[in-house]
Parts: sequence; structure tokens; C-alpha cells
Amino acid sequence: MNKVFTVFKKEILDSLRDRRTLLTAVVMPIVLMPAIMIGSVKFQEAQITKAAEKPVLLAVENQQSAPTLLDFLNKQKQVELKQVENFDQGIEAGTINVYLNVETDFEANLKTQKPTEVRVVQKSSNVDSSTAYSKVINLLQAFNQEQARIRLSQKGLATETLSALKPVSVDIATAQERGGFFIGLLLPMFIVVFAIAGGMYIAIDVSAGEKERKTLEALLLSPASRLQLVAGKFAAVAATASASIILSMFSLYFAFKFFPPKFGTEVVEINLTLGAIGIMLLVGVIMAIMFSGLLLSVAIFAKSYKEAQNYITPFYLLAILPVAIFAQLPGLKPSLGMFFIPGVNAVFVMKEVLIKTFDSAHIFITFGSLIIYAVIAVIAASKIYSKEGILFRD
Amino acid sequence: MLRVKQLSKFFNGFAAVKEVSFQANGGEIFGLLGPNGAGKTTTIRVIATVLTPTSGTAEVASFDILKAPEKVRQNLGLLTSEIGLYDRFTARENLRYFGNLYGLAGQALEDRIDYLVEILDMQKFADRRAGKFSTGMKQKVAIARSIIHDPKVIIFDEPTAGLDVLASQTVIDYMQTARKEGKLVVLSTHDMAHAQKLCDRVAIMHQGKIIAVDSQAKIYQQTQADNLEDAFLKILGADAAKSALKAKEAFELRWLSKKHKRFGL
Ligand SMILES: Nc1ncnc2c1ncn2[C@@H]1O[C@H](COP(=O)(O)OP(=O)(O)O)[C@@H](O)[C@H]1O
Ligand SMILES: [Mg+2]
Repeated sequence: MNKVFTVFKKEILDSLRDRRTLLTAVVMPIVLMPAIMIGSVKFQEAQITKAAEKPVLLAVENQQSAPTLLDFLNKQKQVELKQVENFDQGIEAGTINVYLNVETDFEANLKTQKPTEVRVVQKSSNVDSSTAYSKVINLLQAFNQEQARIRLSQKGLATETLSALKPVSVDIATAQERGGFFIGLLLPMFIVVFAIAGGMYIAIDVSAGEKERKTLEALLLSPASRLQLVAGKFAAVAATASASIILSMFSLYFAFKFFPPKFGTEVVEINLTLGAIGIMLLVGVIMAIMFSGLLLSVAIFAKSYKEAQNYITPFYLLAILPVAIFAQLPGLKPSLGMFFIPGVNAVFVMKEVLIKTFDSAHIFITFGSLIIYAVIAVIAASKIYSKEGILFRD
Repeated sequence: MLRVKQLSKFFNGFAAVKEVSFQANGGEIFGLLGPNGAGKTTTIRVIATVLTPTSGTAEVASFDILKAPEKVRQNLGLLTSEIGLYDRFTARENLRYFGNLYGLAGQALEDRIDYLVEILDMQKFADRRAGKFSTGMKQKVAIARSIIHDPKVIIFDEPTAGLDVLASQTVIDYMQTARKEGKLVVLSTHDMAHAQKLCDRVAIMHQGKIIAVDSQAKIYQQTQADNLEDAFLKILGADAAKSALKAKEAFELRWLSKKHKRFGL
């Protein structure tokens, strides 16, 4: 046990002095992950607000014939009235998005309560123009309604008489779910990535690195058993990968605390209670432990860093791919079997926890299967380390 | 102190070491000599328990390599021909790590490290990181590492390969000191000049087999040579002639038996 700790301590100290490990296991999760997450949330927010707030650039041809309408349009915040020489060219040039063409007898017809045609001119192939068009149509509807209200009240009738039904829009996705869909997708993906990336360099360093530096034989000559050596190295890799995950989660937690993501006007609430964080950390750490065993088993086959990286890259893709596929599928209800797939199960459990729809069977299967995989990975690593052909491959 | 009994090691059917037997005792420098590829390093690795023998066994300080490998490692110091160090650790930190792995700790370990730093003349770089060490500096740290636990049996595999004269001398001095302390020093090398200067007894290895074990004086007597290099070449030449003869005989036999078959005999 003492020797396991000796190896563990040495590997941790050694990797703390290694810029590559420090960068991938500590700096990246602290800085990069919140930066990407907050960045993409803010970007999406900005897109939504930009689209919503952009005013319609509107011109009215023959505007002196329609003072009432002009008066109404002037009061609209979403509308910016423009004067142009040539209306069609104005749309082409983008100085206006849409223009109205009113008849000379518009005002007179309004007084006598006769409907008048108003042409709404757009260019449907232009996105700005067609977006503005639907807004203008809505505004004209509102103008109609206002006129109707005035006319009805003159006749002593209430406006409601005109309405047969009143649609009310209801979104059953809670704010948590909307946030959870977004956060529950990106966040767990990143956690799987960091569970591997955080332990990658140290895993290579303690295995293929010993071969490349030619220190492996001296190590095997010491009275420490193979199992003790592997256990110490494994503990160091697992601790680094876990630290990487814990750091990234805390960093993210604080990032969202200080910059809560907004979608439209609502602040999205993410389920970041102590219990939720606890479950996610535990899933993340067990997953890190499992991947550490696998990384160590893969890297020992290599003779050098370069070779080890070549071996790990396909392994990395193999681990990420199912996660990427399953996590992207919209509205996928994971079957029980999916909670046996390492990585994928962690993504779904975290997602469920984040949006408070978790199922204890899912959490149980995930924990159980991850622990079993972790044990298998560690046993495999120590078996591989007893094979002399792999250790002394010239 | 070291007994090797009928030791063989095969790599995928290729016999790198064939039924090797010899004995060596405390207070002597024993030379394991042979050309490149003779099987010296493989023999040493099996003795040091990093490889498992295909058959046969060995004893180090009365501990069997198969029955008590950890005790064997505790009593054996091996300087491998590859002298890698942990680049991000200082010389002292490298030594401390291995000291811990050998079960040493605290003041006793620090004293031992100080002693080794002194006798191997490493004061100037003991507290610098090993990444930028010269081969000579690395070799000294590697020697200190191999004897950090003050083992009874010390095996040096090509210890002076790639070293300049000064650095080689440090190694040679240390081997003589260890002999005086009553330890067994096994020197594996293809450098006959060094071997002649240092070794009390030698074993000559060729193609995985030991073809001669004796004191230098007896070997000169048998071969009528006056230096180790000539003796070595003569013994090797005789062995090569013998194996050439054997190969010829084997070939003729095969050819004969084929002929017999062909004529239906
Ligand atoms: N791990 C190994 N796998 C396969 N063959 C090996 C291995 N190690 C050594 N050999 C072979 O065994 C023979 C003896 O090698 P070695 O013991 O290194 O010789 P020496 O140290 O005397 O130069 C060589 O032919 C070498 O190629
Ligand atoms: Mg050799």
C-alpha cells in the first residue's frame, strides 16, 4: 500500500511539472469549458434578441393620402418610417424592407367605412424583407382591429362580439426543460470529453512515457509488484481525470451563477442543487476512473508518446461517437439498455438530473455498469502490465 | 551468492539463452563476456526477474527467482544498458523515488543518497533536473539508483558503453570498491580490455550458450593466449568451427535421409 502511494505521489508531482498535463487537465477545463458554454449561450441569446429587436424599415407611397394610418405606424416601436425616392430600388438597396402603397381615397374610404386596398410590397427572396413583411401584416391587422373597435363602440357594441375564439399559447416545456435541453446536451458531452482528455497525457506519460525515457526497466527491477505499480499509476491518472472533471464542473457552476443564460426574456433556471451536482460529480468521477483504466491499457502498448497518441485517438472517437449521436437525437427517449453504454449513460443521467426528470433505475444502472466497467478496465491494465512481450517490445 | 542453473529463455521459439549454468561469489568481479546478441542481457533480465525463464532457474543471495522474486529484487542491483531518468525530477528526487520503492525512507535514505552523491562525485548536479544531463551525469545517477538499497549482488550491463574515459573511471572505481566490501559484482560487456583489467573470473557466452567459465589465468592457459581478447577470439573461433561442423553434419544427414526417401528406402 505504501508503495502504491509512493508511485501515486511521484506521478502526480511529475505531471504537475509537465506543462501538457497541466494545460489539458487543469487550465482547459477551468477556462475553455465555461468560455465555450457561456459563449454559445450568449451567442444564441444575441441571435434571438437581434432578430426580435430589429425594427422594420418601412416607407409609404402616397403617404399624404393616409394620415390616420401614418399616425398609427408612427406610434409603433417596431417600425421606422423612411422616405425614399424609388421604392423598389429602396428594397434592393436595403434602405427599406417593405413599403405600402395606398390609394388616394384611403382617408375618405376610412371615414365612410369602406374597405380600401393597401398593397404591401416585399421581395420574398430577401430574408430581411420577408421577415419585415410578416411583421407589417400583423401591424395592419392590429390597425384593422383598432378601427373595428372604434366603429363598434360608436354603435354601442363591445369589441368581443367580433371574436369567436381566443387562442392562448401554452408551452409545456418549463424554463428548466428549455435550459436543460441545451445544457443537458452540451454539458454532458463536455464532461465525457474531459473525462478522457483530462487523463490522457498523464496516462501516456506514466506508461508509454516510461518506455520512451527508458525508465521502465529500472522501475520493474524495484521490489514493488506489478500490481502495486499499476495501482499507483492508475490512481494518479484517475485522480487527474477526476480533478479535471470536478474543476470544469465548478468552473461552469460559477460561470452560470454569474452569467445566467437567458432565452428571450426568461431567465432559464438550471437544476443546480447540491443533490444534482453531487450525482453529476459522482457519475463524472466514476466515468473518469473507467476511462483512466482504458487509457492506461491502451497506452502501454505504445513505445513512445507519438505512438500512444495514435492509439488513443481512435479510442477517443469510439468513446465520443455514441455520445455525440445519442445526445443529438431530438426527443429521444433512452431505453433502459442505453444506460449500459458507458459515456452515453452518463450523458443521459446528467441530462435527466439537470431537468429534474430523473429515474432512480437509470441512475442505479449507470452507477452499477460504470463501476463494473471501471473494475474490468483496472484488472485488464494490470494483466497487460504483467505481459513481458508488451513491456520489452523492441 | 549467484547460482544460475540450466537457465533457458525462448522468444517465440527462438532460444536467446540455452541451458546456461554458472556460479559466482561475494568478493569477486565476475565477467559475463560475449559478442552482441550472445544473450547476456537476456540472461541478466531473467536473473533480475523482469523476464520469466522458459526453463531452469537461478538463485540470488539464496533466494530463488521463481519462488521469491521480490526478495531477489531486494538483494540485487542492476544497472541496465538503458539509463533513462525522470527528466522533470532532480538527481536526488530520482534517487529518493527509487529509495522509497525499495522500502527506504526518512533520514536513513537521505544519508544513503548523500553517501552516493559523494562517492560518485555528483555534488555539482545532484539538485538539478535530469532533463539536461550529459550521458556521463545520467550514468552516475543510474549507478546510484541501481545500488540505492545497498544490494549484495550488483550486475552492471555494459556500464561504460558511450562514456568518456573519466566517467568510465568512476564506474570502474566503484566496482572495485564494491568488491572490497565483499559484494558480488557481475560485469556484462563485450569490451575485453575493461574485462581483463577488472574480472577475477569470466564466463564466455556465444549464441545463447556459455562456452567457457574460469579464472582469467586458467583461460589463458587453455587457449595459450596472453590477453583476454585473443583468448576470447580463440574460444569463439573454436565454437564457431564446432557449430559449423555440426551444421554440416546435420545438413548431410538431412540430405541422406531425403535421398533414402526418394529411393523408397
Ligand atoms: N524481447 C525480445 N524479444 C525477442 N527477441 C529478443 C528480445 N530480447 C532479446 N532478443 C534476442 O535475443 C538475442 C540475445 O539478445 P541479448 O540478450 O540482448 O544479447 P546481448 O546482451 O548479449 O547483446 C538477440 O538475438 C536478440 O535479438
Ligand atoms: Mg546486451
